[in-house]
Amino acid sequence: MRVAVDGREVEVATGATLLEAVRAVGADVPTLCFDERQMPFGACRICLVGVAGAPGPLPACTTPCREGMVIDTHDATSRRVATAIVELVLSELPVAPAAHTELARVAASLEVGEPRWRGATHPSDHDERHPYLAFQHELCISCARCVRACDEVQGAFALTATGRGFTANIAVGLDAGFLESTCVSCGACADSCPTDAITEITLLSL
Amino acid sequence: MSRNLVELVRRTHAQRAPTALEVLKAALEDHGEITDEDRREAARISGLPEAAVYGVSTFYDDLAVPRGARHVRVCTGTACFAATADAHVSALRDGFGLDLGERREDGSLSLAETVCLGFCHSSPAVRDGDLIDAGEGVVERALSGALRAAREPDWRSLLEPAILTRPGDWSGLRAALATHTPESLLGEVKAASVRGRGGAGFPAGEKWSFARGAPGAEKFIVANGDEGDPGSYIDKQLMERNPALVLEGMALAGYAVGAEHGFVLTRSEYPLSKPALEQAARQAREQGLLGDDIRGSGFSFDVTVLEGAGSYVVGEETALLACIEGLRGTVSARPPFPAVSGLFGLPTVVNNVETLANIPFVARAGADAYAALSPGASSGSKLVCFNERFANPGVYEVRFGTSLRELCEDVAGGVRDGLALKALQIGGPLGGILPASLLDTTFDFDQLAAVGCMVGHGGIVGFDERTDMRELARHLLHFGAAESCGKCFPCRIGLRRAHEMFADGRAVERARLEELLEALEVGSLCAHGGGMPAPIRSLLAHFPDELGLT
Repeated sequence: MRVAVDGREVEVATGATLLEAVRAVGADVPTLCFDERQMPFGACRICLVGVAGAPGPLPACTTPCREGMVIDTHDATSRRVATAIVELVLSELPVAPAAHTELARVAASLEVGEPRWRGATHPSDHDERHPYLAFQHELCISCARCVRACDEVQGAFALTATGRGFTANIAVGLDAGFLESTCVSCGACADSCPTDAITEITLLSL
Repeated sequence: MSRNLVELVRRTHAQRAPTALEVLKAALEDHGEITDEDRREAARISGLPEAAVYGVSTFYDDLAVPRGARHVRVCTGTACFAATADAHVSALRDGFGLDLGERREDGSLSLAETVCLGFCHSSPAVRDGDLIDAGEGVVERALSGALRAAREPDWRSLLEPAILTRPGDWSGLRAALATHTPESLLGEVKAASVRGRGGAGFPAGEKWSFARGAPGAEKFIVANGDEGDPGSYIDKQLMERNPALVLEGMALAGYAVGAEHGFVLTRSEYPLSKPALEQAARQAREQGLLGDDIRGSGFSFDVTVLEGAGSYVVGEETALLACIEGLRGTVSARPPFPAVSGLFGLPTVVNNVETLANIPFVARAGADAYAALSPGASSGSKLVCFNERFANPGVYEVRFGTSLRELCEDVAGGVRDGLALKALQIGGPLGGILPASLLDTTFDFDQLAAVGCMVGHGGIVGFDERTDMRELARHLLHFGAAESCGKCFPCRIGLRRAHEMFADGRAVERARLEELLEALEVGSLCAHGGGMPAPIRSLLAHFPDELGLT
């Protein structure tokens, strides 16, 4: 089927998402919970785009293309809301994310300034019991990329989302650390993490 | 939702093993808290990974709070707020010397918050074990350990004859099996324009068509009895006083869609709902109205009744299915829609219990008779309920197209104690707030939408003249933040920030608040984050001077 992205027409396969169409024409929208190795999740909501005829912005990663769709990645409401959401994400961290992280790069690309809404941040909670994998829970933004890497890519099922609402986070096994879980130390979680909440210690110490 | 976990759950279900959530709930009932040993056992029995079970055990309110020998739960729903401005909560905290969520060191007593117990006709409500007391003096009775069962509300129809309060007698199913093919029953339900009664108002016949047309031999009917709206006790009364009508509606849905099994999910806050439905199902089986080859028709249908564990968002259909599967009750992006990939990944119709209770009449009397119930308005009838602030609170079956003034003044008798009505919240926490000046608005889907409100699920909470509207905003946003499932970012963080803006006593910067509300409305994954701004928008529109804005 054919769709148009920012005025450029493109042929996409049946079932393709708006995000795939956007990337197929060389355009882009920011993402945080998306990892192309995993099923779309639809949690971060910053990939919003405008679609002609739709009542409001739609998430590009989970919305399938339909014949003749007209997609606008510069839609003002979409970009305004995406910026607000990234501000909210920065406001939940007790420290700014390291400059090389995906979160910091997304924030820079959206020119996100000082968050307009300040409040509680995640309490500091470091787990360094594993020789190669470190977990800084306060940097977790609950994108669940680590959980999905462990489930969909590695098949180890060592990770889970925990809690709900603002206190949501990630736990390993029964929350007793990587070594006490079904973790196989593959590092797929750290590789996918957009904030360095999970890191490989060897890389850090280089 | 993880396809792998759903597949594991499907295999467990096929072996008729309990879900992880069921095992954890049983452990909690047995010894008052969930240990790692319980989690390992739940993983072993359910076939889920240990980490996934840990995630489940930290999601639901019931599982997260340790229980003492005596476990007291105080209702913090909106009707209780309207009654006491939360004075009952502080009185119990002070009286017991415990904060919400705490247990005495000796294990004798624990205190927790619960939203809501569905005794909104007699607020405030307190639960001790499975005993629920409500109304004047309840705090003193709770503190002295002398709670008694609260009286049940009025439950009656203003229609003659009654449709939804008429005890279910399975005549709709008998009529359908005698006169309808599945296709013609589906056509009748579509012609009747039965709109969903759970909040979204989606046409039931459309949903059924999608599921009927979805590929797959095995399909399910799911009745959503997770009536989480604070201030609503409609489904509670329906499930407890007329369970057969709900089950009959499910069987009819099964007949039309081609499903042989249904699930009802009730709330743990309503301890009487599951037993009432199970008893009605047993009686129906004895009469050959549920089970194999019903009345020699070749149509087989049976039901399983399950109970949740404390989560508002589980009322959202994808979260509801996750809860039935025993997983974390978080929302999943659609598509796929449940009609195509629902319970265990199979085609599933999810209808509110009241929606299903409408179907027997349609099957028996036809679409025209159904439309005629509310002349010149939406088809069918609606159950509404009123909170304790009214002189005659209760559940009433009414016609669409009635004015809210008639409902509040003639049916519910106006505000009690000679106080003036200040505002109404209609249809649950995601519904707008209607100032008393707009009381002549018609109770119907479109007219309410035009004033920023909704039929929603039909709960009508009245606030009297003494209500502090800034406190109401704080109350609603506390609920919104506490019940966010935590999956999508705008809701997870945004509702917390919105609550913080009202909770710290400082002036609220209006522009900054409205920018936050837009992010919630536009960005949220489901109606929880998307809808929580609606009552705040109403308060901004109608009561700006009371909110402490700058």
